[in-house]
Amino acid sequence: MGRVFRSQRLRYVHQHRWAYLLIAPAAVFLLAVVGYPIVETFRLSLYQSQASTATETFVGLTHYEAILTDQAFYDLLYRTGKWVLAGVLGKTLLGLLIAVALNADVRGQKFFRTAFLIPWGIPYAISAVVFRWIEHPQYGALNAALLKLGVIEQGVGILGNPDTALLGVVVADIWIGTPFMAIIILAGLQSIPVELYEAASIDGADRYQQFRYITLPQLKGVLFIATLLSTIWTFVSFDVIWTMTRGGPLNATTTLVIQIYQVGLENGAMGRGAAYSVIGFFVLLMFALVYIRVYAGDDL
Amino acid sequence: MVTDTNRFDRRRLLQAIGGGGAVLIAGCMGDLVGSDGGDADIQLLTMGVGDNIQGFFDETTAAFEEEHDISLELTSVTWDNAKQTVNNRVDGDQAPDVGRWPARWIPQLVGKEAIEPLDELMQGSFYDKFYEGMAEGCTYEGSYYGVPWAASNKCLFYNKNVFEAAGLDPEKPSLNSWDEMLEAATQITNETDTHALGLAGADAIETGSQYYHYHWSHGADLVDDDGAPVVNSPEGVAGLSFYADLHQKHGVTQPSPLSSTRQDIRELFESGSLGMVIAHAYAGLNIQENDAGFEFGIVQVPEGPAGRYSLNTVDSLVIFSQSEAKDLAKDLIRFYYDEERRFEYSSQKGFMPVMQSVGERAHFADSPVWGPFIEAGQYARTRPKLPNFNEFNDRMVLAIQQAVGGEQSPQAALDAAQEDLMSMMNAG
Repeated sequence: MGRVFRSQRLRYVHQHRWAYLLIAPAAVFLLAVVGYPIVETFRLSLYQSQASTATETFVGLTHYEAILTDQAFYDLLYRTGKWVLAGVLGKTLLGLLIAVALNADVRGQKFFRTAFLIPWGIPYAISAVVFRWIEHPQYGALNAALLKLGVIEQGVGILGNPDTALLGVVVADIWIGTPFMAIIILAGLQSIPVELYEAASIDGADRYQQFRYITLPQLKGVLFIATLLSTIWTFVSFDVIWTMTRGGPLNATTTLVIQIYQVGLENGAMGRGAAYSVIGFFVLLMFALVYIRVYAGDDL
Repeated sequence: MVTDTNRFDRRRLLQAIGGGGAVLIAGCMGDLVGSDGGDADIQLLTMGVGDNIQGFFDETTAAFEEEHDISLELTSVTWDNAKQTVNNRVDGDQAPDVGRWPARWIPQLVGKEAIEPLDELMQGSFYDKFYEGMAEGCTYEGSYYGVPWAASNKCLFYNKNVFEAAGLDPEKPSLNSWDEMLEAATQITNETDTHALGLAGADAIETGSQYYHYHWSHGADLVDDDGAPVVNSPEGVAGLSFYADLHQKHGVTQPSPLSSTRQDIRELFESGSLGMVIAHAYAGLNIQENDAGFEFGIVQVPEGPAGRYSLNTVDSLVIFSQSEAKDLAKDLIRFYYDEERRFEYSSQKGFMPVMQSVGERAHFADSPVWGPFIEAGQYARTRPKLPNFNEFNDRMVLAIQQAVGGEQSPQAALDAAQEDLMSMMNAG
């Protein structure tokens, strides 16, 4: 039986040899630029490897043990979770609102659709610098406005206060990421057949009921993909936090990705940094699997 | 198990791939000055060449090429990319021949055997050109690995208009000690609407640089003679207590110091919104250039119970071991240390002169801005040269933030830092 199967498989490969040959360069390229770095990161995480020396010492799972038995790591994960949850939730809700508004038959629809894309087209680091200035305690526009309105007596350092710094960077991240959500959701809204709304209207459904029972269920697939992508992007987001706070103050905005950069690249502890990366990889992988299992079900 | 990775193994291949990307990015983002391709006889990598100094490099490159009948490729990368770019080029076997490199980062390249000892060059009349402290700043484990290229140190700037408004003597202020500085700051806070003192507390490397003045002058050190951390000595706790109390107890600093970098407080002072700040000479040069509308004075960094220190930072020129033109590289270094060229560089760039004969010229010695900084040379102190100083400094910055933010007492913050630093150093 096994021999028959093997011979069938060989025949199949032989029959499709040109197809395999044609995709071979792409496969080799992907293995080199995706597969190899992943494997190398796994390997490096098992070594003590300082950027300042040309030696590597095999330490097995020591880095993992040190990280996983340190309470600071769980604080880091909790903070990363807050950052991702707040960011994705904010972007999704705001994106949904904007998409619904843009889907309505309003004047200047084309202009608004283009205008809402602008934040997404600006390099993240530049947007982050702008937000850092907006929130600056001495020069910031936000503080200037609050001072003028008499709400505060002197500039408040949003990014300098461990209690508010995360909020300060999340706001910038939401502003940057919302246009993507809005455009994706808008595409989903436009694919919903108008007949469904007409039928619901005839049956007496009001606007909220139409939204609740037609729009949201119809958007399920789009929202699933958009929030999954947004979660991954927010999780690995680096530019905004690094530009605005470099993970401070008092590590209040240090997420897993910031930690990986600080440990592995800035401080040159490449082995430990690689171990953080591997842990991050598995955290993200587990999230994606659970998310797909729970929310996608058999639909996808 | 120790693996020697001198051969071109998988890790190096990965780093080379990364290095290629970083070099490409650096090439695109950095200002590529006078590059004429990859076939040059000698390559010089430097950092942060701006408009103010581009002409100097254009002229000197042309002069050196003509003098030696060779081609010189000069590449400038931004400071943000500098460390990564150089490391990637070294790991990818693409190191330049000569490079600018901060002296405090020398141990890292020595650890990789990536740069050459320059003891042979740094002797006799060539060595005598430099201020001793600057030359010694380029040593590591008993050898010279760099030639001083640029230097900076710190003094205390004060706003004369603010002092006058607060009823303080703007011409002969009493700012000799930390206590006198605090007294003046308190008076400014009480008598004016201006924030008296700039305090750095942001999550940035330079927060450590600003704080170390207080740490050292209270008699504390960062590491002992064997390189072991000693940050939580009673003197260290006294230094951090004084630093944190400026905000926590006395309220004489700008609001929200935890969001303020060294650059933020310098800019605040330059805009006339601060009474005092510890800063580089170019704060004064910026104010003069921009005609900020106020008078300022410069005094030495105040002294503490154990003396007075001015943080000294030295950048050096190093020769990379991978260079196949080491003799030409030494000629290039000698070429740049012509007195006239050094004067032109230091005066245009706004850096402390590294050569004594340049520092003695009237442009520096008689300048109201440069004079105090030349004098501060006697109080110069550099950060310890540790292979993992960045990590060390990061941990210190966290302790500083904990104390300034009132999250922990200075004693608890430094005790925790000491414990972490010990583990870090033991882990290598």
